Amino acid sequence: MKSPNTGRRSRLFTTAVGGLALLVLTACSGGSSNGAGGGTTKSVDMAAELKKPATIEFWSWLDGIEDEVKLFEKKYPNIKVKVVNAGQPSAEYPKLRTALKAGSGAPDVVQLETHEVPSFTITKSLLDLAPYGADKIRSKFPGWTWDQVSQGSSVYAIPQDSGPMGMLYRKDIFDKYHIKVPTTWAEFATAAEKLHKADPKAYLTNIPPTNGTVYTGLLWQAGSRPFKSTTATNLRVGIDDSAARKVSDYWSGLIESGNVSTDPDFNDQWYRGLASGKYATWLTAAWGPMFLQGTAKKTAGKWRVAPLPQWNAKEPASGNMGGSTSAVIRTSKHPAAAAALAQFLNSDPASTKMLASKQSLFPATTAQLNDPKFLDQSLPFFGGQKVNRVFSDIAKTVKTDFTWSPFQDYVFNTFNETVGKAMTRRQNLTAALTQWQDSVTGYAKKQGFTVS
Amino acid sequence: MSRTVTPAPARPVPPPVIRTTRRPWRRSTREALTAYAFAAPFVILFVALLVIPLGYAGYLSLYREQLVGGKVFAGLANYRQALDDPLFRDSVLRMARFLVIQVPVMLGAALFFALALDSGRLRFPRLIRLGIFIPYAIPSVIAALMWGYLYGPDFGPFAQLARGVGLDAPGFLTPDWILASLANIVTWEFIGYNMIILFAALQSIPPTLYEAAAMDGAGAWRIAWHIKIPAIRQALMLSVIFSVIGTFQLFNEPKLLAGIAPDAISASYTPNMYAYTLAFTNQEVNYASAVSFLLGVVIVVVSYAVQLASHRRARRS
Amino acid sequence: MTSHTTSTAAASLGSSRQPGRRSNVLTLLMLAFLIYFLLPLFWLIVSATKDNGSLFSTFGLWFGGGFDFFQNLHDVFTHDGGIYGRWLLNTALYAVVSSVGAAFLATLGGYAFAKFRFPGRNLLFSIVLGSIMVPSTVLTLPTYLLFSKIGLVNTPLAVIVPMLMSPFGLYLMRVYAEDAVPDSLIDAARMDGAGAIRIFWQVGFRLLLPGFVTVLLFQLVASWNNFFLPLIMLNNPKLYPMTIGLAQWQAQAGGVGGAQPLFSIVITGSLVSILPLVAAFLLLQRYWQGGLSTGSVKD
Repeated sequence: MKSPNTGRRSRLFTTAVGGLALLVLTACSGGSSNGAGGGTTKSVDMAAELKKPATIEFWSWLDGIEDEVKLFEKKYPNIKVKVVNAGQPSAEYPKLRTALKAGSGAPDVVQLETHEVPSFTITKSLLDLAPYGADKIRSKFPGWTWDQVSQGSSVYAIPQDSGPMGMLYRKDIFDKYHIKVPTTWAEFATAAEKLHKADPKAYLTNIPPTNGTVYTGLLWQAGSRPFKSTTATNLRVGIDDSAARKVSDYWSGLIESGNVSTDPDFNDQWYRGLASGKYATWLTAAWGPMFLQGTAKKTAGKWRVAPLPQWNAKEPASGNMGGSTSAVIRTSKHPAAAAALAQFLNSDPASTKMLASKQSLFPATTAQLNDPKFLDQSLPFFGGQKVNRVFSDIAKTVKTDFTWSPFQDYVFNTFNETVGKAMTRRQNLTAALTQWQDSVTGYAKKQGFTVS
Repeated sequence: MSRTVTPAPARPVPPPVIRTTRRPWRRSTREALTAYAFAAPFVILFVALLVIPLGYAGYLSLYREQLVGGKVFAGLANYRQALDDPLFRDSVLRMARFLVIQVPVMLGAALFFALALDSGRLRFPRLIRLGIFIPYAIPSVIAALMWGYLYGPDFGPFAQLARGVGLDAPGFLTPDWILASLANIVTWEFIGYNMIILFAALQSIPPTLYEAAAMDGAGAWRIAWHIKIPAIRQALMLSVIFSVIGTFQLFNEPKLLAGIAPDAISASYTPNMYAYTLAFTNQEVNYASAVSFLLGVVIVVVSYAVQLASHRRARRS
Repeated sequence: MTSHTTSTAAASLGSSRQPGRRSNVLTLLMLAFLIYFLLPLFWLIVSATKDNGSLFSTFGLWFGGGFDFFQNLHDVFTHDGGIYGRWLLNTALYAVVSSVGAAFLATLGGYAFAKFRFPGRNLLFSIVLGSIMVPSTVLTLPTYLLFSKIGLVNTPLAVIVPMLMSPFGLYLMRVYAEDAVPDSLIDAARMDGAGAIRIFWQVGFRLLLPGFVTVLLFQLVASWNNFFLPLIMLNNPKLYPMTIGLAQWQAQAGGVGGAQPLFSIVITGSLVSILPLVAAFLLLQRYWQGGLSTGSVKD
């Protein structure tokens, strides 16, 4: 097992806590959560609060999340939870924004993608969960995961799942055309050309022009750090930093030569492409394997999993894509109950186990990440490979000092209009990267940030 | 409603000619009070649902709410920004392009169908009339959904047919063709509606107007061109105006198609989609209000220009 | 143009006034066009009989791969705990309440504008008509914010109340009332000592009924098809009308959560949802055809 500290440069303290927690938790995983929601804290007497009857509303797009919620209701019989599926993230956020803007109609607990947490924190929409016992479960999560949802001692969401990126590939296609699994991006480019030449209908991979999270994950891996805030009102925007230019130049080459496809993802055509062998790899997050298993059943046994190709083979790195959290809206009339739900769902062993098995989420808790049963599960769809172990190892190479902008919706939207558009038109991405940078800088200034 | 929130795509040109009264008005105060009482429920709702929100939107458009620094008075800055905003400009121009191609095609076809029905030379006129009209009864959401499947490059029947004869699947959902594909959906939805309006107008032309011409041996096409079409100018005008209003407010169809062709339909594809994105994704409610107001101005100006042009032509002929 | 009343225009529809030669060429041409209009519906019906697998493996415009319509129907009404039935009922409720309400208010107002003279009449009427050009986004957003202040958001009223006011309906009813209710009848009733309200109910409303039904139908379609308003006003799936619900299912069909299994449900759900309105249009032909002519024929 590699050190969990690989690649970590900053925030040594949280890392240390996380590493320590890992040891502690693997030693006594299972029984530790009883105090998670119900324990007493300095600020709020949770045990007393949670005995009070309350009805709270919970927005989530996960199918079947009701089962985990039932576990919660069983533990806290006086709390009733109304689960609402307010749509996929792209539908849920506008709804949440309107409700917040209007001051009514917002839920108590809401599922947010990890990259959205700062965007809702800056509008002061999220409740600081630290006084509600969240600081006590900090130790259950890897340090960098926790960093994504916290600012200083404040905690604005509880991580639900994470998405370290890897590469799913079609072993049969690789074998057929004698392609070695690429371990570096240089090898990847060569393989892309080789495959497309051999079969003009096939592409080594598809880079979606309408899903900024994929491209951002690749930027993340390369070491690009698009956002950094020094103070609450200052933002450094470095979307076109040197690492991002390197990535964009690289993909420009692949796209302009026509060796990779640029189809939008998650639509019929794309599903078909995954199933038909049009795409020989899918660069995706750890939740990808389970998803693929459900959508491309016919290709069972043909897929394998590997880490992303590397820029520097000696320093393996990865990025994170997707992953979500549970957050509590500040206007909640039952903050204690809401906070307890957010914590219970994502830290209770029974609940996290269920999230991993039933909803196929890649776990966020250290305990679940290190659960031998989880790690050693071999998936026939991937030729019996221990997929979770591969991703668990990748997770340790995810660079951890990446931060999101406080208006990530806008950033991803503008990605589609700039870099995404260039992908579709097979134009140079680096020029588009500059447009992306300019749009975001302009927006940040308009929103009152000082931009450096 | 398909393209707008308020009723039909066919709404009349304001303002209509108000008739002068034919009888002496007595008890005028009491009469006025009675009238107010009758009109009150409507007028109250009109104020509550139109005047007040509109005023509120106007107020919002003069401010700017920042993530950092909160709400500040911005004067006309939002409007100035919108006029310089390439995304807004592109969306309006895109709809203008849509308008000059789709509307003539749709109304030309509707007029042709209406004339054919009116000529009395069709067999099964009822069946044909209903068949063409039926799409109007189908929600635009479902229309867009159906056509979306039909357009599909993999399992869409057109793609299947093309592949069957060895051709490439037609790229209905590609950036180059998406505007035409959208125009087709809108045309499909509203031809029947416009046809019914024009047909009703044709039917109310007094037959005496063209019976004489027919006696003189004028053919059906000449009668249509020289007598019938000029006689329903007013109804045609209405259809044009409503199509202008509807086009600039296009939202449902592109919103639905964006789900399957996100690389072809951006979040600012139409002015209405842009306003929606600004308000609900970019958190720029104030700017969205200004953009919507400008869109309203565009609609009024274009509608007015269309009417003016038509009046001029009518006077000349 | 001379003023033809709605009833004559309606009655004349369908009866060809020039019983000339029937043209086979023209008929064939029109039937060819008819294919275009009915093709998507035919596709919808065909597709509703297929399961997810054959939806993608058989030719789209013909039956094939078994007959799964009843299974699909069952799935539509049981998916997500049977919420589809709820959506249908919501749609019907919103559409019926708002269309009856809007038609009634428009009738009252149109009658007042047509049959009474009062200060501000023309100005008020022009303002109402001009409002038709206001884009929906300009209104929907502030309406949302205002509604939320009085706690209307995310309730059925949030989508019903805005649909109660129809400027077009008012225009239609005014034009209609001018012809349909003769002044002499009102004067006569007044001579008999009847009050304004009694005159309206016993004389006016009965004569205005066809116009009333027309506005009702218009508003019924507008409500039934509404997408933008409920999209913004409602968060709770239990309150959704069908348009929003189906759009959400469609999004889920391609979303991270579900993938393919939803396609056949979305398609069959679409088919079921259009049936009531298509049926209403077929049954009420006389009314809407007559009413449509009122709005446009008048000069």
